[in-house]
Amino acid sequence: MEKIQVKICAGTACFVMGAPQIQALEFSAPEDLADKIEVTEVRCMNHCSQGKGYNKGPFVEVNGEVIEEATMEKVVAKIRDLIAKEEEEKC
Amino acid sequence: MSDSLFIEIGSCQEHKASESCFGDAILSKKLPEEQRIISVLSDGLGSGVKANILSSMTTRMAMKFVESDLDLVRSAEVMMQALPVCQIRKISYATFSIIDATLEGKTRVYEMDNPQCFVVRDFQQYHPAHHEISSENWKDRVINVYQFVAKEEDRIIIMSDGVTQAGLGNPKYPLGWQRDGVWKLIENQVRRHPHISAKDLAEAIVKEALTKEKDGKAGDDISCVVVYYRRPRKLLLLSGPPFDEEKDHEIAEMIDYYDGKTAICGGTTANIIERELCLKCEMDKTTFDPNIPMASIMPGIDLVTEGILTLTEVYRMLKEGIDEDKDNAATRLAKLLLDSDKIDFVIGTKINEAHQDPNLPMELDIRRNIVKKIFRILQSKFLKEITVKYV
Repeated sequence: MEKIQVKICAGTACFVMGAPQIQALEFSAPEDLADKIEVTEVRCMNHCSQGKGYNKGPFVEVNGEVIEEATMEKVVAKIRDLIAKEEEEKC
Repeated sequence: MSDSLFIEIGSCQEHKASESCFGDAILSKKLPEEQRIISVLSDGLGSGVKANILSSMTTRMAMKFVESDLDLVRSAEVMMQALPVCQIRKISYATFSIIDATLEGKTRVYEMDNPQCFVVRDFQQYHPAHHEISSENWKDRVINVYQFVAKEEDRIIIMSDGVTQAGLGNPKYPLGWQRDGVWKLIENQVRRHPHISAKDLAEAIVKEALTKEKDGKAGDDISCVVVYYRRPRKLLLLSGPPFDEEKDHEIAEMIDYYDGKTAICGGTTANIIERELCLKCEMDKTTFDPNIPMASIMPGIDLVTEGILTLTEVYRMLKEGIDEDKDNAATRLAKLLLDSDKIDFVIGTKINEAHQDPNLPMELDIRRNIVKKIFRILQSKFLKEITVKYV
């Protein structure tokens, strides 16, 4: 199974809205997810300036899907969701 | 100033252990229009507050007189007359050493009653020609004047007698550390670290002097100033996208052809350089800090950081001191700035709308304002040579 790509915006606005708390995913991901995800910090992906609103950050992309006002819980839930879907497809 | 020589000044002081303030005073100043640097060290009579007043007054007066090119004997007389008289010793007195140096190398050192200065050239002591002058009214006070042309890599070291007499009273050093002892340390340091900075050398001298003292406690005020002539270390700091997008390529070329170290502060700015110079940029995870965005690695660029938060933190550290225990993007940038002599700021003036959103949980300064604060403190407190260009 290919690793799920998690991209965390490291732009200034996302940073002050709480991106560092999500960066912890890289160092302390839940055990069952640790080897299934690849976390990268990226510079501003421009979601804020392209209509979503600057205060809707932090923005995180999980396999290309944008999560607004992301939190650790939201991101983990999205990852679990994708894993569940993939497993369903396999069956 | 000039592309040729740069004069670095570094100093270090330790006050007498039983006092709470310095009895010696050090004052340095750059006169950019004359390409000249003056540094004054004075040792006030006694120690503590009284000595501090005497030495501070002396450094201020000496600085004013020397920078105005007034006659030295007359200046020294005025200084001696102006100092308050000690209640106990019934004299007014403070020593001084003055280095007056130009970037062309023309150098004068004036000394009154401080230990003789060291001039270091090619790892050896250089003894420049000198003459003595004294005033009619103060025949017992002799001023030594050294005059010479300094070369690249020369160093001048002036100090208070707290350095040469360190250890006095300690049975191990009945006569104190003495001039020969100080020279041995200087020689050892410059041979081992030929490019040791002025500040590091001054610190090494004062630290070593303290080890000579009984229980490591200073028995007198210990002060040292090092002046180091060398090639300037240059840094180009690029921050912010240009107001006009057409200038993107221009700033990218600026960084590409710069003959010194380079730093980029700002995500969008890094994106521009990445695109224009076809470089690849990656996050540097070794700089993780929950309060400061991580730095990035871009080939050929010495440091790439986020913009406004990092710059704000850098400004705080320049004011309050660098957090030595941390290794994040801001501490790296602050150290890079302090390790440079000549810093060229190129500041893009495009406003980042994202930062002006009142819904953000903290107030973000406008880049131009924070950069202004940074370069002012670099100029005034750290005597850096700064140019700023807004694009």
